[in-house]
Amino acid sequence: MPQQVSVPDEEAGPEYKGSPRVVPDPDVEAARIAAVRRYDILDTPPDGAFDRVASLAARLFDVPVATVTIVDTDRIWFKAAHGLHDMAELGRDPGLCGSAVLRDEALVIPDTLLDDVAQSNPLVTGPMGVRFYAAAPIVTTDGHRLGTVNILDTKPRSITEDDAATLADLAAIVMDEMELRLAALAMVRHEQERRAAESWHAEIEHERAEAERRAREQAEKDKAAIAAFASTLQRTLLPPALPVVPGLELACHYRTASVHDVGGDFYDVFPLDGGRWAFFLGDVCGKGAEAAAVTSLTRYTLRAAAQIDPDPRTVLGALNNALLADVSAGSRFCTAIFGLLTPDDTGGFHVAVATGGHPPAYHLRPDETGQVEVVAVRPKGGMLIGALPEAQFAQVTFHMAPGEGLLLYTDGLTEARTSDGAMLGEEGLTAFLRRRTAPVSATTLVDDTVVLLESLPDGAGDDVALLALSVPRCETVPDQAVSATAHTSAAPEPTGQER
Amino acid sequence: MTDALHLTLQHTDGPYAVATVTGDVDLHTAPTLRSGALDLIQQGHRHLILDMRGVQFCDSAGLSALIRIWHGAKDAGGSLALAAVSGRLMRMLNLTGMDSLLPVHPTADDALSGSRPTADA
Repeated sequence: MPQQVSVPDEEAGPEYKGSPRVVPDPDVEAARIAAVRRYDILDTPPDGAFDRVASLAARLFDVPVATVTIVDTDRIWFKAAHGLHDMAELGRDPGLCGSAVLRDEALVIPDTLLDDVAQSNPLVTGPMGVRFYAAAPIVTTDGHRLGTVNILDTKPRSITEDDAATLADLAAIVMDEMELRLAALAMVRHEQERRAAESWHAEIEHERAEAERRAREQAEKDKAAIAAFASTLQRTLLPPALPVVPGLELACHYRTASVHDVGGDFYDVFPLDGGRWAFFLGDVCGKGAEAAAVTSLTRYTLRAAAQIDPDPRTVLGALNNALLADVSAGSRFCTAIFGLLTPDDTGGFHVAVATGGHPPAYHLRPDETGQVEVVAVRPKGGMLIGALPEAQFAQVTFHMAPGEGLLLYTDGLTEARTSDGAMLGEEGLTAFLRRRTAPVSATTLVDDTVVLLESLPDGAGDDVALLALSVPRCETVPDQAVSATAHTSAAPEPTGQER
Repeated sequence: MTDALHLTLQHTDGPYAVATVTGDVDLHTAPTLRSGALDLIQQGHRHLILDMRGVQFCDSAGLSALIRIWHGAKDAGGSLALAAVSGRLMRMLNLTGMDSLLPVHPTADDALSGSRPTADA
C-alpha cells in the first residue's frame, strides 16, 4: 500500500510554520480510518451543503479550484469539487492533500515547484499544473483528521494568517455538517432497528424500553450537537444549489423576509440508486435559531431515510419519528412534500409524492390544443410532521410526460396579498398556472411566479421557497441542455417592511 | 397589530372549562397562549375549550401552540376543543390533518354540550 514518504527537512522554507512532510503513525492512521468509516461518507452522492463550502472557498480566495476531500486508506476522495471536472478521486500521493491530512494546522504551499515533496505530486506535474496549494484539515471532535478543505491555483501566490484561519473555519463548517449528517443517519437507522425489533418481539417489553432509552440518548446527543453548531448553521442553511438531472429541467427560488431570521423553508433534489432521484420541499413551523436547527435535522433526516428506503411515505414516517425523538427543539413541526422520480422509457418520469400537511403541489399538463391543465397533487390525509407518533402520511403516483411540469411552493406564495387585500390563495395560484402555455418549462415557471410575487403590493411578506421540475420535449432540448437554475435572495428588497 | 393576547377563563364546570382567546396569535404571542392554557389544565381544567371568536389572525406558531396544549391536555387525561375558529385557521387545521385531533365547534356552547357526557340532569 502506498504510504507517505518522509523527507524530514523541517528547516527548509522559513516562511512556513511546520513542513508538509509528516509520517503517519500506524496507530493514528488506523484510528483515523476507523473515524472515516464511522462517518460513512465515502462514495455518497453529491450534497449541496458541501458543494456550497467548496464554492464559497473558491470565491473567498479567488482561486479556480476548491475541494472538500476525504482521505481513505489508499485514495483521496472528493466530497465536493468546485472547478474540477471528471475527477472523483486521486491516489494518496504525498505533497498536497496526502500531506495536509497528516497535520493539525493548515498547510500552505505558495509555490509547489519550490517545495521538495509537492513538486513531484501528479497534480503539479500533470495537466492541471497546480502551483499554489493550501488546505485545512477536517478534524473530528475527538481529534481524527478525516480529510481536508483545499484551495488550488495555477499561479504561485501567498495567503495571510487570517486567510489560513478562514480556511480552518470552512473545514470546521464541513465537520459540523458531517456531525449533523451522522446524527440523522444514526437516528433513522436506529428507528428502523427499533421498529423491526418491535414487530418481531412484541412481547419483549424490555427490549423496547432499551430502544427508547437509546433513542432518548441519541436525541440528547443530537441536542448537544445542534446547540453547539447553531451559529455555523445560520451560515450554511441557505438551500443548496440544484444538481443537473438528466432529462429534467429544475428551477428554484428562495427568499427570506429578514436577513436575521433564517427561514424555516427548505428544499433539495438529490440522486438515489438506479437512476432515481428524490426531491423535497417544506416549511418548519416557527423561525430563528430553533427553527434553523429543525430545518437542518429535517434535511439530513430526509436524505438519510431516502438512502435506506426511498418510498415517500416511509421517508416522511422516518422524519416524523426523528422530530418526535428530538426533544430539544422548541418548534418541532414541519410540513413537507417528498417525491421520488423514476425515469421511464418514454422520456418521462414516474412520480410518487407523499405529503405531510403541506399545501398541494401542482402538476401542469398541456393538452393537444396547447392549453395547460392544472392538477392539484393533494394526497388525502397527510398530517403535520412531528406532532403525533401515530401520524399518517398519504401518497399519490402519477406520470410526468415530456412537456409537463410540477410546481412545489411554501405558503408564503399562497398567503401573499393581492391588490384587493385578499390572499392569492390556491384559487389565485391555480388561475395563474392555467394561463400558462405549452410546453411547460421549470425555469420560466419559476421566473414568472417570482414576477407575480413582485407585482403584488407588498411583494411577498413572508419567506417563500419555490421548486419547479419539468420534462423537456426531445425536440426542444439539444443534448445535455438540461438546466438547473436558482435564485436565492436572503435579503429583503428595500421596501422597509416592518413587523 | 396588537401585541397583547388575552386568555380569559369564562366558565367552569368541574374539569370542563371555557376560555376565550382575544388578540392575534403569532410568534410573539403564541407562548402566552401556550403557557396560559397549560396553566389552566394544571389547575384541573383538563377538558379545555378555547373560544377563538376574538382571534383575527393565527399563524403556524399559533398552530404549534395549540398542538402543545393538546398534548398537555391529553397527558392530563383531558381534551382540547376549539370553538368559533376563523377561516384561515380552519384551512390550516384541515391542511395539516390536525382537525382530526382538535374538534372544532361553531360556538363554545356547542363545544360544551358536545364534549360533556350527555346523561346529565
